[in-house]
Amino acid sequence: MNKPFENSTICEDSQLLLQKAARDQIETVWERHQAQQPQCGFCEMGLSCRNCVMGPCRVDPFGEGPQKGVCGADADIIVARNLGRMIAAGAASHSDHGRDLVDVLGEVGSGNGSGYQIRDPEKLKRVAAEYGVATDGKDDFQIAAGLADAMKEDYGCKQKSITLISRAPAKRQELWNNLGVTPRGIDRETSEMMHRTHMGVDNDWQSLLLHGVRNALSDGWGGSMIATEVSDILFGTPTPRATRFNVGVLAKDQVNIIVHGHNPVVSEMVLHAAQSEEMLKLAESKGAKGINLAGVCCTGNELLMRHGVAMAGNHLSTELVLSTGAVEMMLVDYQCIMPSLATVASCYHTKMISTSDKARFPGMEHQEFHPENAAETAMTVVRQAVENFANRGEAFIPVDSVDALGGFSVESIVNALGGSPDPLIDAIKAGKIRGAVGIVGCNNPKIKQDHGHVSLAQRLIENDILVVDTGCAAVANAKAGFKMTDAAELAGPGLQEICGALGVPPVLHMGSCVDNVRILVLASALANALNVDISDLPIAGAAPEWYSEKAATIGVYFVASGVFTVLGPMPPITGSLNIVNLLTEGLNDVVGATFAVEPDPEKAAILIRRHIESKRKALGLPAEDV
Amino acid sequence: MKKVIVHPERCVGCMQCMLACAAAHSKTKSLFLAVSEKPQPKPRVHVGVGLYEEGFPNRCRHCNPAPCQLACLPGAIFRDNEIDTVLIDPDKCINCASCAMACPFGVIRYHEDAVAPPGKTVAVKCDNCYERRQQKRIPACVEACMVAALTFETEAAAMKRKTDEISRSVSTGAETAALSPGFELLNTLKKVQIEMRNP
Amino acid sequence: MEYVIIGNGVAGISAAESIRQLDADGNITMIGDESGLPYCRPMISMVLEGTATPNQLPIRKAKFYDTLNIAPIFGERVTDIDVGSRTVQVGTAQSVAYDRLLIATGADPRPINAQNQELKNISYMRTSLHVANMLQSLAGTRDALVLGGGLVGFKAAYGLLRRGLKVTMLIGSGYPLSLQVDQTAGQMILKELVAQGLKVKVGVEVTAFEGQDKVEAAQISDGSKIACDMVVIGKGVLPALSFVPRDHIEVDLGIMVNAHMQTSNPHVYAAGDVAEYIDVARNSRWVNAIWPEAVSQGRIAGINMAGRPVAYAGSLSRNVIRIFDLDVLTGGLVTPPHENGYEVMSAMHAGRNTYRKMVFCDQRLVGFTMVNDIEQGGVLMALMHHQIPLTIPKEALLDTRFNFKQVMTHGAWAASPKAA
Ligand SMILES: Cc1cc2nc3c(=O)[nH]c(=O)nc-3n(C[C@H](O)[C@H](O)[C@H](O)COP(=O)(O)OP(=O)(O)OC[C@H]3O[C@@H](n4cnc5c(N)ncnc54)[C@H](O)[C@@H]3O)c2cc1C
Ligand code: SF4
Ligand code: SF4
Ligand code: SF4
Ligand code: SF4
Repeated sequence: MNKPFENSTICEDSQLLLQKAARDQIETVWERHQAQQPQCGFCEMGLSCRNCVMGPCRVDPFGEGPQKGVCGADADIIVARNLGRMIAAGAASHSDHGRDLVDVLGEVGSGNGSGYQIRDPEKLKRVAAEYGVATDGKDDFQIAAGLADAMKEDYGCKQKSITLISRAPAKRQELWNNLGVTPRGIDRETSEMMHRTHMGVDNDWQSLLLHGVRNALSDGWGGSMIATEVSDILFGTPTPRATRFNVGVLAKDQVNIIVHGHNPVVSEMVLHAAQSEEMLKLAESKGAKGINLAGVCCTGNELLMRHGVAMAGNHLSTELVLSTGAVEMMLVDYQCIMPSLATVASCYHTKMISTSDKARFPGMEHQEFHPENAAETAMTVVRQAVENFANRGEAFIPVDSVDALGGFSVESIVNALGGSPDPLIDAIKAGKIRGAVGIVGCNNPKIKQDHGHVSLAQRLIENDILVVDTGCAAVANAKAGFKMTDAAELAGPGLQEICGALGVPPVLHMGSCVDNVRILVLASALANALNVDISDLPIAGAAPEWYSEKAATIGVYFVASGVFTVLGPMPPITGSLNIVNLLTEGLNDVVGATFAVEPDPEKAAILIRRHIESKRKALGLPAEDV
Repeated sequence: MKKVIVHPERCVGCMQCMLACAAAHSKTKSLFLAVSEKPQPKPRVHVGVGLYEEGFPNRCRHCNPAPCQLACLPGAIFRDNEIDTVLIDPDKCINCASCAMACPFGVIRYHEDAVAPPGKTVAVKCDNCYERRQQKRIPACVEACMVAALTFETEAAAMKRKTDEISRSVSTGAETAALSPGFELLNTLKKVQIEMRNP
Repeated sequence: MEYVIIGNGVAGISAAESIRQLDADGNITMIGDESGLPYCRPMISMVLEGTATPNQLPIRKAKFYDTLNIAPIFGERVTDIDVGSRTVQVGTAQSVAYDRLLIATGADPRPINAQNQELKNISYMRTSLHVANMLQSLAGTRDALVLGGGLVGFKAAYGLLRRGLKVTMLIGSGYPLSLQVDQTAGQMILKELVAQGLKVKVGVEVTAFEGQDKVEAAQISDGSKIACDMVVIGKGVLPALSFVPRDHIEVDLGIMVNAHMQTSNPHVYAAGDVAEYIDVARNSRWVNAIWPEAVSQGRIAGINMAGRPVAYAGSLSRNVIRIFDLDVLTGGLVTPPHENGYEVMSAMHAGRNTYRKMVFCDQRLVGFTMVNDIEQGGVLMALMHHQIPLTIPKEALLDTRFNFKQVMTHGAWAASPKAA
């Protein structure tokens, strides 16, 4: 017979903790997913519309029942509306996260950002220059204030185009201009999407989708990019550092604090407090050997990138990490935090703290973080966590952690290459590295946890394709051991040689999900170096286990930037074959890239290899048949 | 005689039929009000899940002879020949669940209900919308199903439609197109996902 | 055509109804020693419990015999069958001739071996009369002793508990309903009963009763004594066939019948608790003394007696036990002998308080136990009854989401030659 929970997850820690959760009568995301079956086919196909109260409406995919909503919208319009709103929600999430960072930057500039600093003044100046913010004769704070103001303009409606779009290759910018999809303002495109999808506004599905492209670009080259850049400025640009992964990072004899969510604004402060002399002493006095801060999801990735903080798991592990009974406190900010978490925590001594005024959760204690009180609040909550150590019951930490190397920003990759991307380009030209693929996105109970990420990464590196990853995909691949320095052994001979020479693993951890923009920047650098467009490069993207609206937006800005992208789960679009065809074929003529949908990572690997070889061929590089 | 006919291949699993059925068997007959009724009205049709997470509207077949009727200890289950419907008399039912062991389709549930004596748990199943039929209305589930997975027609008419469909699809030059290519596409991908989880 | 039916229990009346459907003119005579309307025997325990009144027991309308044009001979017992002259002896004086005879005499409680059984307030529980008598004496009683943890003993104990009596149950095996449910479910039931105040003694029996006129105490095989003012004997049942001529009609534990419910004598049929036919799960002869079997067998017997040959797939045991918040369903072979290559799978879900156990023989389901979430029991029963080889993973049956569609998807029903 199969190992228990082998069908739910490939991870040993998750399998063992699922058994424990069952014993402890904890309901998990997998059970709730089962209980939801069958899921509504109208919604799965994108054929239901709740946008007005003449409705809700749905269209019969079999052609017998109603074919139009009350307003007259047909399947194409309804699917496009729904997809449009999905993109808007994703863009809004990343961009709002970015805005929170810009606020902190502004506060720091004006001297109110207690505890926050400018950790990368060099980058501050570089980005300020891109924004045309004067730096001469100004101190860092003044520049920060100026940059924050300039970035706020990107969110507004005064500009013809957002600033960082200029980082894209010239050909790409021209293509966007010709298509009329150059984003003008970050919030503006999201707002306009909500407007267009209101009843009686944009009822041409193609034009709606084009705006979807613009909206997604406003995230990829706007909100998300700002989030990443400002995070680097405030907290430091990541450099490679050793770290550890999976539930084994929890310490039996230390106070365990987990940070969960996305924004480093909170977790950085908590980390600082957890490392303070005062708290360490307090911990010691409570009989703990230290304070162990670890992450789950992207705020964990943010800390990992900059400080080597260990990661206990990805999205589907968040409940299971609590079921170890070893966690004194979980602090959450926002995004991807299941409202079930406090229920799980209530079975143990774990304290749950919500920190953002815009993200509240049932059963959690609310301790709001603001730039001016962040340092202080962080000390308060860490103290509570330490004091909670005494209440810990029996802890179950079933596995040992896996070592990994993380922290690959574009800057640090170029650094590792010796200061310019040329060695990488040479290796690609020579065929030692066939190409590069970004594996990104979430976990989704529809796919066995990590199976999509790990199988795909394995196939790609075996075939000499360099993998860069972010978000929960990055955690999956690290848990699987692909980021140990000697993981190069798992790669094909060419990639193995390059990794060996550079001392890097074959799968490079590039950060959180907003950090997908690092991949865009890297791709642009490669394209510029070769004097081609991004869509000419032998690269691809994949989101094998995506679940969230944010991931949908990422997918769209990848494709719109010229990156062929393979999705695992099908987005809710099959109600309109016109739209399916456009996204999987037609877009090639429009933006030079398409989506593909392939839940099976083995087959996805073949699609990607085929794509990469065809791009190599078009560039006149040695190519193989796949 | 017209009957509810189920076309499982069309079911998209939206559970609209369940909501409509529950509302039709509530005191108020209104979905909005029914949710706060006591006892809570419950559906007589149950959208189960197939091995590939496809929906399946499972309702009483009104079998003849009905295994549940044969198994019922106090004789609470009877057939109304006029409307070709197997009914349960909630006053007679002793909630013994003997019928649960008899119904080969698993469609009977046990709960308090608006039609039962207050406070008494009884066996409940599809009554072919007895009350609505008296009012010359079609069964609630059929009315709610937007994809014609549930239809109300004579067996002969349904048969004829099926035969026509089949003959159309086999006649030369006919496209062997799926009923809904988009639905088929979605299901193919879902199947891949599920088979990956349960190899 | 002269049809004679012995026994007006549910097997008998199901047969009579089937005969009448097919043969409007034949003469039907029913002989039964319980007078009056056919009633729901299982409900007598509810009368004891106080959740049903005696007038709720009848399962047919008052004019039932008239409507079906049945000649009733009630309050009399059949004492002999002369297969040569095709007559049955009723009481001492009367004899009735038949062309087709159905024996549907059900079962009698299994007697026990203990002294002083004639004391008052010691009773079996098989008929409505038994219960009526128990109710008469209920007023003055406080301590009841129930002998046997089988279905009847269990129901008696449950009913008396709900009446507020202190109840002690003596069971031979380690847990109640050991023939009906597996150990896990049995322990769950025991736990529930004990939580509701039942006292249980296992592995002992009564050797004698004590008392003046009414019972006052029982002597137990372990030498102890239990004070009691009421005793219910529920140690199982035996087919009621003392009048059957064994040299002409083959008898094992019950009367042996073929797929047409016909005995070894072609004019004589048997159905219900008294009959023994192949149990599809065990794949051997077995008496399944349960209500739905009696109905089905009676119906098949009637159809065949009226001249339409219809075969019965086989019998199958099943039980539904609902106590307080616990619903227990069992079917087929619940606790298989380990040696014969049976495969057993089980799943317990503490959070939902469910338990499922499936017993397979090769690809066939041959038995199951389920606690709570019982709605799909009938689907499992149908799989067993039609002996359908499974084409889906066996684990699927342990999942509470298992339903008809999942076996349908794989064409299991279509693939089975035996599927109806
Ligand atoms: C307390 C109790 C609870 C039960 N609960 C359940 C339950 O929950 N589920 C379930 O499936 N089953 C249950 N049963 C068993 C069920 O009642 C029997 O299986 C069913 O009644 C059998 O029907 P029958 O027609 O074969 O026999 P019976 O109902 O026993 O009918 C036979 C009739 O024949 C009469 N008779 C016998 N011998 C002669 C003779 N020589 N001459 C004339 N007449 C004669 C008897 O008096 C009786 O009236 C229960 C039984 C009891 C006692
Ligand atoms: S309403 Fe129709 S499509 Fe929806 S679940 Fe019911 S039967 Fe299926
Ligand atoms: S409840 Fe089940 S057995 Fe009874 S008529 Fe309906 S489908 Fe048939
Ligand atoms: S639960 Fe009710 S309807 Fe079902 S068999 Fe028992 S008495 Fe009959
Ligand atoms: S016919 Fe009526 S009672 Fe039956 S399932 Fe449909 S809505 Fe419910």
